[in-house]
Amino acid sequence: MTIRNVRDHGQQYRPRMACLKKVEALVLEMQDPKTGVKSQTQRLVITTIPHAITGEDIVAWIASRFKVDAQEAQILATMMVAYGYIYPLQDHKRLVIKPDTSLYRFQTPYFWPAQQWPAEDTDYAIYLAKRNIRKKGVLELHEQEHYNNLHKWMNHKWDFIVMQAKEQYRAGKERKKPDRVVFDCQERAYWVVHRPPPGTVSAMDYGLDRLIDPNVEAVKEKKTVDYYRRIIIFTQQSIMRSRVKSSVSIGAIVKYMTTYKNHDPFLVPCLPSNPWLTDDTTYWELNLPNVEIPTKMRVERWTFSFRELLNDPRGRADFRLFLKKEFSGENLAFWETCEDLKWGAAATMKEKAQQIYKTFLAPGAPRWINIDGKTMEITVKGLVHPHRYVLDAAQTHIYILMKKVGSLCHAHLPHTVLPSVVLMAVFRSQDSFGRYMKSPVFKETQRKAISPEAHNFSKAQLEQNAKKRKPNLSPIILRQREEEEKARLAATGPVDITQLCKFTAPVPHLSVYTGICEAPPCHSQELLPPSPVPPTLPNSAACPSPISVAIDSTPASERKFEGQAGAAPPSGPAQTVGEAEETRAGAPKSRVTLSLSRLLKRGCTGSSVFANLSPKCPAALGGRVQPLSRDPAPQAQPKRIANFFQIKVDIPPECRIYPIESEDEDEDCPAALRGTVKEIICPWESITKHDQAG
Amino acid sequence: MNRWRRSVGEIQARRRAAAECTRAQTAFSRVTACYQQLATCVGSSSDCGRLREELEDTRVLAHNLCMGLQKRLTALLTEGDLVQEERERVERLWVLFLSGLEIFQQDLHKVALLHEFFPLKQPRDRRALVNTGGTCDSSGSAQVAARVAAVQTPWPKEEAGPCPDLGAHIAQLEGMAQEMLRKVNVPIWSVEATQEAWVEGCDNEQDDEEVAEEEISVETGTAEGRKLAGCCHYPGCRILCLLR
Repeated sequence: MTIRNVRDHGQQYRPRMACLKKVEALVLEMQDPKTGVKSQTQRLVITTIPHAITGEDIVAWIASRFKVDAQEAQILATMMVAYGYIYPLQDHKRLVIKPDTSLYRFQTPYFWPAQQWPAEDTDYAIYLAKRNIRKKGVLELHEQEHYNNLHKWMNHKWDFIVMQAKEQYRAGKERKKPDRVVFDCQERAYWVVHRPPPGTVSAMDYGLDRLIDPNVEAVKEKKTVDYYRRIIIFTQQSIMRSRVKSSVSIGAIVKYMTTYKNHDPFLVPCLPSNPWLTDDTTYWELNLPNVEIPTKMRVERWTFSFRELLNDPRGRADFRLFLKKEFSGENLAFWETCEDLKWGAAATMKEKAQQIYKTFLAPGAPRWINIDGKTMEITVKGLVHPHRYVLDAAQTHIYILMKKVGSLCHAHLPHTVLPSVVLMAVFRSQDSFGRYMKSPVFKETQRKAISPEAHNFSKAQLEQNAKKRKPNLSPIILRQREEEEKARLAATGPVDITQLCKFTAPVPHLSVYTGICEAPPCHSQELLPPSPVPPTLPNSAACPSPISVAIDSTPASERKFEGQAGAAPPSGPAQTVGEAEETRAGAPKSRVTLSLSRLLKRGCTGSSVFANLSPKCPAALGGRVQPLSRDPAPQAQPKRIANFFQIKVDIPPECRIYPIESEDEDEDCPAALRGTVKEIICPWESITKHDQAG
Repeated sequence: MNRWRRSVGEIQARRRAAAECTRAQTAFSRVTACYQQLATCVGSSSDCGRLREELEDTRVLAHNLCMGLQKRLTALLTEGDLVQEERERVERLWVLFLSGLEIFQQDLHKVALLHEFFPLKQPRDRRALVNTGGTCDSSGSAQVAARVAAVQTPWPKEEAGPCPDLGAHIAQLEGMAQEMLRKVNVPIWSVEATQEAWVEGCDNEQDDEEVAEEEISVETGTAEGRKLAGCCHYPGCRILCLLR
């Protein structure tokens, strides 16, 4: 009994080789005694066997039948031999037609290739055993290997195989001599076609198995009204598809081809050698996903587009290294987590979405990313019922940010906010593709990239390589390695911006970031609904004190920053401040303070400005994140000002700074605030509470 | 004392049954091998009505053997409690029988297809037969058929009932295999081979005739030589072949 493995996806059917039927018809035509191919007798030592045909006769017959030239006819004839319909009597291992007097014979229909039944291993084992009996152990090298393999894998029916082989051998001996010779030749030819010796190409290779049985007639659908309705809708949609001018699309193809033509192994041989051709796996080893030193071709590919860089794991790692040096890795990290969500398992999706929110999207999150208000709103709304593609908009935004230069927020700023403030705004433009290309990290990688030499194997070496073929690493091992890699990455840790400040001098808590730009009052409908009136008052009251602290601390921090320019962890903020200095001739210090004071003067309704809590409570906002509510509050709420800055200030825990939605949260907060790290609660979790309260 | 005698009787009965099955399995092997030899001729120039009749006879015999073996093996494995050694032997037989069934079924498939492709009802159909070098004189296949006829079934021929026609036979074999797998739970891979690898090459019978392929390769040399020595020295000369 054959142990049949059930392959996944139910793909068990061999694809239909339509050519087989046609070749069969052709073979039958060739048999016609009048119009078919002329046959001769083959003389052997003891006997003669009829029905031998010469190669040139076959080629001539095909040429006249199809009215093609001799070369084409030869190719057709070779195809027939390769499929096993005709077999050569001399030089039986090479399945080609020689258009000379070399002899061929037709294969018996029993041994014709059939698509329903692949040549089974059991039959092959029996054949090998028979050969072993006849030749007393002298088999070809590849046959010996196959024999040993089959003996191992079919051990449970080896007795049957041997018994059957013996019986078949004896049954064969019963026949007359010429028939025996013919049968032996036929069988040998059959197995040359279906178990080709190593180094030869088999015509029976067919690629993937199919899901449906191609031999079974498909059930014809009844042509009802519904059927026609479907057809109509389908064709209407086809018409409605957007069209592109052929000049444009052809231009795109040409551009693609000119860019990639040196990277196509069919056009330009890959270095050192194509493993499929030479059986030497150096190329694959040099191009492993996480290899230390990439090849020059690979690095060149990264320069083609940002997508290439991100798609290549090694390129992504390089980019990540660059960003790490610039301390602006959140965008890439966010992008990667979005990919993980998209492609990951459905079971963990909810937790992942929550995690992503807490880490990246919540105001004041440890690795907060910079996306515009509209996108943020859509995303947060979608996160209430997370699905695979909920972060698509945000991910696309971040992708574009990374690709193009900088994330200059002045583009988003409404006109009412002071330009000076804007220009003070520090923009994070390090995480961009262009900068990466110019960075020392990339240049170093480029310099170190290797360009291997071509191999140029001789024929003997090729055979040697073919023998030394071994299977690839098991996917289990590869997966384990991937997991280890991921764990290692996670352990080196995401750079938590809130904690950055902890590591530097005691004073510099001030980091100014670009925040979500939201328009002033006129756009309040889009925003997260501002808090109800009562709680803001205490906030406003609380405003001056922290800010004064901040202002006081600012000069010191500024000084500190300047001193540290380009050195330490908060090189990010340092640089940003530095850049702010550059853009603005003049004393930045006072500017910063000036801007702050201006901001404050605009009103303490900018309570949301302080939504980011102090770094003293790391990894948290120091409080509840603004819960979402679905319907914006109708009545006039204290307007949330342009949440442009999210200033981290050194705020004593007792101070309640953030807008609090409901009264009970109001009450909770003070107690909760006292110096404890607060968990960021995802909006949807507190929805019920909010509903109750509001 | 009675109990002991009875149990001895049972053991002996079981042993007899197992031996019977072994003989039947060997016979089945022989029949399927011969069937395959005959099947290779279908559709070729050595195909004729006689061949097809012989195929049918072989099939009937195989059917007989199958049914009997199935019944007995299933009985042995389900009801009797066998000693460990016995059990192993019978399980091995079981696996061998199933493998044989599979191969036989495959051959039946192929023959059914070839029957469709090369019907022999009309004389002109003979033109469609493939010229494989075989001849239609039936003595060759007759010997094979004789070998088949020499096979003895250990149980009466009529036991198995009427033999279904080709298509139905295939379906029946399929059903038989499924039923057997369902009834008896034998892990197929647990059966071990009694034969070592490469053994069969050493202790085979005396083969007094030359091997065919060596012949052919020898032949090419001599043929070329003969051609040259014959009518002229031109290697492509085929006059000699035509004369012969």
